[in-house]
Amino acid sequence: MGKIVGGFLVPHDPVMFVAPEAPAEDIRKRMWGAFDTCAERLAGLEATSVVIIGADHYFNFGTGCLPQYLIGTGDVDGPLDVLPGLKRQIIPTSEKLAGFIADHGHANGFDWAVARAFTVDHAVAIPDRLIVDPVRARGQSIGTIPVYIAAGVDPFIRMKRAIELGGAIKAAVEAMPDDARVVVIGSGGISHWVGTPEMGKVNEAFDREIMDYACTGNLAAIQGLSDDYILDNGGNGGMEIRQWAVAMGAMPGARGEIIDYAPVREWVTGLGFVQLFA
Amino acid sequence: MSRNVLEKLMHQLCVDRTVKQRFKEDPDGLLARYALSDEERAMVTGFDVAGMQKHGVNPMLTLGFWTENAPNRHPAAYMKALRGAAAEGQVFSAGLKQ
Repeated sequence: MGKIVGGFLVPHDPVMFVAPEAPAEDIRKRMWGAFDTCAERLAGLEATSVVIIGADHYFNFGTGCLPQYLIGTGDVDGPLDVLPGLKRQIIPTSEKLAGFIADHGHANGFDWAVARAFTVDHAVAIPDRLIVDPVRARGQSIGTIPVYIAAGVDPFIRMKRAIELGGAIKAAVEAMPDDARVVVIGSGGISHWVGTPEMGKVNEAFDREIMDYACTGNLAAIQGLSDDYILDNGGNGGMEIRQWAVAMGAMPGARGEIIDYAPVREWVTGLGFVQLFA
Repeated sequence: MSRNVLEKLMHQLCVDRTVKQRFKEDPDGLLARYALSDEERAMVTGFDVAGMQKHGVNPMLTLGFWTENAPNRHPAAYMKALRGAAAEGQVFSAGLKQ
């Protein structure tokens, strides 16, 4: 039987790569260092697989097909949107578990869209490169399973469904005959405005509200947030707290701890790092 | 609702090298293939990202469209086009490419 052994909630800010020197030195050291801390703690969890939950930025998917939620069950590489210091590469996978999660979902009311060969964008590639790759470099074998939800492009996945989707991942992992040790990574947020006139604004109060819900495992509060509230206070990028909700939904009752947080206007985002404890 | 057609075109102008090249070389010829009104065509050729957002186009697409195709792709130029001439200050962009 598989088990979810931990979780992380992290940003996937491409501006960190595009303008790495923009913030004050202490801030940028802390933020890059927070990814290192996540990697260090992931190493201690002895995971065999990570499920990284990202959101499409109207880049992977076009107007011809906008899935509510999708899982990569086969070959994975990325990122599609190559950035300075983030070149495209093959990403090790956990195909057996990914296929099992899809199949288990299909049998239990979760009609996953499936990507058999998938080039992820920065939403999955950044946490994979900064958190998982350093652990692989130590000799641990960890496969990445990408999950994409509709948080950047409407129609948005309902928050309730995002939480339920996390539950479906948990149920599948626990139904897996193998002894998989799985870590979930909710990748996104917190407040940021992407491409709108407010771009560059960060709302620390909103960010701290969301991190508080994450640290107390308050799924009801997350579910109670209306889209209008999130858009007004967290921006269109704030809708990515849905990825956090999926990870939290996979670990009901889990408490969390803030690894670090900073409102970084130069990187147009409130950067929050939380660890969830199984 | 041609927001959908505009978004289709914007997405292609973000990710499809052939469409981007055609837009550069023959914008009228390219746009004739899409069911857009004269007003909407003018928004595209004029890089009127504010107008497109008011029309309902996703801001991630207007940002991507700008950073891939505009004559001046700098984020500050995008923000000026979006906010109007009053926009000031240094702006770092979450654009997918610089």
